Amino acid sequence: MACNYSTVSLPCVGKVALAPIESPTLNTNLNYISKSNTIKTLSTTVSLEKAPIIGKFGSFGGKFVGEVLMSPLAELEAEFNLVLLDHEFKMELVCAMRDYVGRETPLYYAKKLTDYYKNINGEGPEIYIKREDLSHGGSYKMNNVVAQAILAKRMGRKTVITATSTGHHGVATAAVCAKFSLDCTVYIGTKDMLRKPSNVQLMELLGAQVKPVDGGFQAAASESTRGWMENLQTGYYLSGTAVGPHPIPTMVREFNSVIGKETRRQAMEKWGGTPDVLVACVGTGCNALGLFHEFVGDKHVRMIGVEGGGVGSKTDELHSASLVRGEIGVYHGAMCYLLQDEEGQITKTKSVASGLEFPGVSPELSFLKDAGRIECYSVTDKEALDAYKRLCRLEGIVPALEASHAFAYLEKLCPTLPNGVKVVVNCSGNGYSDVTTVVNSIPVNEI
Amino acid sequence: MAFSSSSSNLTAYTATAITKPSSSPVIRFNKASTFRPKPISISCVMTQQSTNSSAAAVEDTAALRPDPLGRFGKFGGKYVPETLMYALSELETAFRALATDYEFQKKLDGILRDYVGRESPLYFAERLTEHYKRPNGEGPEIYLKREDLNHTGAHKINNAVAQALLAKKLGKERIIAETGAGQHGVATATVCARFGLKCIIYMGAQDMERQALNVFRMRLLGAEVRAVHSGTATLKDATSEAIRDWVTNVETTHYILGSVAGPHPYPMMVREFHAVIGKETRKQALEKWGGKPDVLVACVGGGSNAMGLFHEFVEDKEVRMIGVEAAGFGLDSGKHAATLTKGEVGVLHGAMSYLLQDDDGQIIEPHSISAGLDYPGVGPEHSFLKDIGRAEYHSITDEEALEAFKRLSRLEGIIPALETSHALAYLEKLCPTLPNGAKVVLNCSGRGDKDVHTAIKHLQV
Repeated sequence: MACNYSTVSLPCVGKVALAPIESPTLNTNLNYISKSNTIKTLSTTVSLEKAPIIGKFGSFGGKFVGEVLMSPLAELEAEFNLVLLDHEFKMELVCAMRDYVGRETPLYYAKKLTDYYKNINGEGPEIYIKREDLSHGGSYKMNNVVAQAILAKRMGRKTVITATSTGHHGVATAAVCAKFSLDCTVYIGTKDMLRKPSNVQLMELLGAQVKPVDGGFQAAASESTRGWMENLQTGYYLSGTAVGPHPIPTMVREFNSVIGKETRRQAMEKWGGTPDVLVACVGTGCNALGLFHEFVGDKHVRMIGVEGGGVGSKTDELHSASLVRGEIGVYHGAMCYLLQDEEGQITKTKSVASGLEFPGVSPELSFLKDAGRIECYSVTDKEALDAYKRLCRLEGIVPALEASHAFAYLEKLCPTLPNGVKVVVNCSGNGYSDVTTVVNSIPVNEI
Repeated sequence: MAFSSSSSNLTAYTATAITKPSSSPVIRFNKASTFRPKPISISCVMTQQSTNSSAAAVEDTAALRPDPLGRFGKFGGKYVPETLMYALSELETAFRALATDYEFQKKLDGILRDYVGRESPLYFAERLTEHYKRPNGEGPEIYLKREDLNHTGAHKINNAVAQALLAKKLGKERIIAETGAGQHGVATATVCARFGLKCIIYMGAQDMERQALNVFRMRLLGAEVRAVHSGTATLKDATSEAIRDWVTNVETTHYILGSVAGPHPYPMMVREFHAVIGKETRKQALEKWGGKPDVLVACVGGGSNAMGLFHEFVEDKEVRMIGVEAAGFGLDSGKHAATLTKGEVGVLHGAMSYLLQDDDGQIIEPHSISAGLDYPGVGPEHSFLKDIGRAEYHSITDEEALEAFKRLSRLEGIIPALETSHALAYLEKLCPTLPNGAKVVLNCSGRGDKDVHTAIKHLQV
């Protein structure tokens, strides 16, 4: 899929004109239209082994950053490679995950949800929920933040710098920095501060310094990179998204992959096999990759990413479905699928779930999509809200609005699945803080 | 260390059952004299020395907790209208049968593991431990039992889940519960959704206004929330209304009481369902340091999370147990909820226990910044443990609790519930007195996301 001559904003560099980017050379039959919602069913000759740690996933990924960041990123990569083999690091991480974060999270058989999707003959798939909502902080985000904080301490850093969109990543970072006695600075866009002011209060309570930046997440991310650059010796940039220059996508995926590893073991215990279908919501792709990565080599395991479809699927309506409807571009230092207009400008995104409102998506997921290994769909705000309410009523579990997108897709998926198929849905976070949004969307007389 | 127990010195009380239609069916004691129990001052060191009588009492604890009539010493019992006696006996019989019901135990264990997320970790709070080290580097080690990581964010779900399973076994389709701030209501609504039971929650009208978000949550989970306008429209009135509903619908309805208060067999049942906290703690303590905890600390409102932690260790005399209540604006201000410190013996909601009452035996409206501790009574077993000297009870003001709330957030990145913050605040007084290396286990009974607005308002962070 070729892009036109485009202008992109690179952090610390400013606007850069890019030469036309070639479509990924994957030996695939590229007769698909990226804006469609259909599964890519054409075969591919690309090896689906896990991408080696060299920064590229096919032609996605990379390090599209200013020169001054190349050295710190190389240092981070070297340290990351070391810790992967370091027994002490692993022990410290395992202990923190168990006692602080509360892992392992259960794989819960959702009987009432399963019964709900049974057809007239009483047949249907079995739905299991991976309970990342039970982690400390209420979402899977701790997995990555805790590991990176331990890494920062190993590197002798005193300050952690990060940017957050809705504040959830900011809160997780602030909490972990408090625990590890690291100074924490969180950059957040003023627009986002207005949407979730309670998260700002939480960050300050946890001892972080919150720096408002005029604009949205894009501005906050640029400012935070600038902040990091002023402080390269003692500062550590803690990325919360799977979109960024190498080694960030790989790091975030590795640290979240504990989700998939636990799922494999729990599936073996529960039914003596692997899951048949994995479903997860996709904002930048962290939680999805965390679940999927372990199973990429198991070709019979189907993987489904569900993005935010916003209000609807008409072209003029705002949404956040980067994989389904985006085109290839460079965002935050990595080549990936990206929501952009004809001139290559980043388009505005919108979703009822603010955590999905990201115009770019993980380069690794972009690669897996092109290779046909994952399927990508989107659901509308209304479908997600209905799924939120459904899970509350049926299982007494309150999913985050982001995770609700994954649950919403079950409506379309389950009727197509044979009897007894094992579906694992990643409940990436709890939705107690989304109650106001949900209630505001319900007509008053229906509450 | 010396203390005096007032339990043997009470003068005769005349009991009259007063059931006015518009007020709660509480049996009040008209005092025959102006006797007040002597204030008890307990200052303990590591090794507790008790008098002979209380030593014997401690030995007898196993036999008396509770006795066949549902009493803990003289506390507890079943002070309820005749209509409820059968339901309570039926409940007790069903509960006792569970001890040998392998299927039930297996099902409950599965739910606690996969739905609630047990076992909750025993977390070594390194920075908090550092904070309490004395200048010479000595101090106790603080461990937090992380009940805040449970599904719904508090310990309450342990009991709610087990009682819902029990209700299903009894063939009851309808569940009622009372709630103050909404936490127990949310836990009950949650399990009712999970088990397909009809759920009605009674909540004081004043509380409903203060906790609108929790009301929405309960409704989203499929529960019906009924406002109670009688009395002061708060928790104690909601409890009375729930009891009234139960009296009317006892054949079809199970009442999920949220704490270790209420008529027998509730204090025993709720304690047993929460006892998993203490059982896990014993196992985890053995794994972590090869021994038992030296001190257990927990906040006390009704007393369920504290009993859940303490129960396992009551027979272990070297384990010190400390319950922390809410002193609100201060013990002398009259605006507090320190039942075991300032209360007197009476009957509330079906059980004899300490409670906050005025000279006429009317319930005093309690106050605490934390809604979960804002209860004028306390579980009868706590009253018993206090009287025999097995557990100590102290109190912490709103201000001290808020400081502790902020302290744990800043030191460990864990935001505790304001209820839990009371227990955390007591560490300020406790730790300087403890020898080096003493193992303190504090029950982190809930998470504090729900309290951030309140805290910020008061703290002006």
